[in-house]
Amino acid sequence: MVWTRRETMLGGLALLGANALQSPALAKATAYFSGPAVDNGVTYRSTNFANIDRKWQRQVVKYFSSEPIGTVVVDTRHHFLYLIMENKTAIRYGVGVGKEGFKWYGRATIDRKSLWPRWTPPPEMRERHPELPEFVEGGSPKNPLGPRAMYLLRDGVDTGYRFHGTLEPGSIGKDASSGCIRMFNEDAIDLYQRCPIGTAVQVLPHIAEKAPEVSQATPVATPVE
Amino acid sequence: MPAMTGLTRLLSAAAILLTLASCNTTEIAAVEEPAAVPMTGKTDDPAPGFETVSVGTEEDFILNVGRRTYFTQDSSALDSVAKATLDKQAIWLNSNPRWLVKLQGFSDDSGSASKMETLSQKRADAVMAYLVSKGVDPNRLWAKGYGNDREVRDCTERSCKVQNRRVVSNLRTERDAT
Repeated sequence: MVWTRRETMLGGLALLGANALQSPALAKATAYFSGPAVDNGVTYRSTNFANIDRKWQRQVVKYFSSEPIGTVVVDTRHHFLYLIMENKTAIRYGVGVGKEGFKWYGRATIDRKSLWPRWTPPPEMRERHPELPEFVEGGSPKNPLGPRAMYLLRDGVDTGYRFHGTLEPGSIGKDASSGCIRMFNEDAIDLYQRCPIGTAVQVLPHIAEKAPEVSQATPVATPVE
Repeated sequence: MPAMTGLTRLLSAAAILLTLASCNTTEIAAVEEPAAVPMTGKTDDPAPGFETVSVGTEEDFILNVGRRTYFTQDSSALDSVAKATLDKQAIWLNSNPRWLVKLQGFSDDSGSASKMETLSQKRADAVMAYLVSKGVDPNRLWAKGYGNDREVRDCTERSCKVQNRRVVSNLRTERDAT
């Protein structure tokens, strides 16, 4: 029996498929996504949370601090973003922190928010990756900002800091090579709903509560015996 | 083990401080919440009731839908973000018909106390009308404005003000007097 070229190709593809299922890394990458979802007229791949470590999934946790209700606190080292709620609780989101996410710490406010924002790669990123276009339209499956972006300003000046979605759910909980604060797309949509323009944000290397477990931390207070 | 004891002591001291700190928020808690149980434990522990979240529970509503709708200054109009939140609330409420909802309006805008009360009532009414337009039975809903009289915090900075211009959709199992 002689195989036609087409049959050979199909056979090859089938083999590829089988290999993909056997290769754990590749299988995992594919399994980060489940079916399509629609948001504001844009179809995107929803996150398959069954394959995401529970630690990085949105949850309500205890949060002991003095920040007022509605404040967003980012713990860059531990890859968490907290939205402070009543009675010493907070909604905690797992985040990925890109290079740009480590460039700035401090207090700011969310002064601008956008739906399916257009992405303009920063000049230095285009130097490293000349193949990148000048911009990527909002809603494009290649747009790394995903469905939402929230822009942080301080006294009316852009800090360059943003919260946004991601194309790589596997990068949540990790340090990524680029971007600011990446969230699961579903979480970026959720946070956008919960943060009115004017929301206070604190970006920290880590929250004070976790100082003891951070070796390079400066002592916050000396316990009085 | 002495280090452990030190930590335990520190934690209990913190717990006492937190209990004291929560005293002046009792009234606030009563506005929005059932009375708050003084919280112990540490940051990142699951909040009480949120260890596992089942579909159709109040915890599910808080975590996956969100109770708060925000407004811009001096306005009771629902913008696109507010409508998106309320669309989610309506879908959830329609699939969980056992819950009633008390809509609590707040304001922290310009004008007299009575003007604030009117505005907060208008906000709560706007939310109610929208939920009804999305198929929620009006008999399950009631709206009350609290003005700026009983706001969450007394503050002047912008970030606090935007938090106070809101309606909270509080799930109830039965109607209350107010």
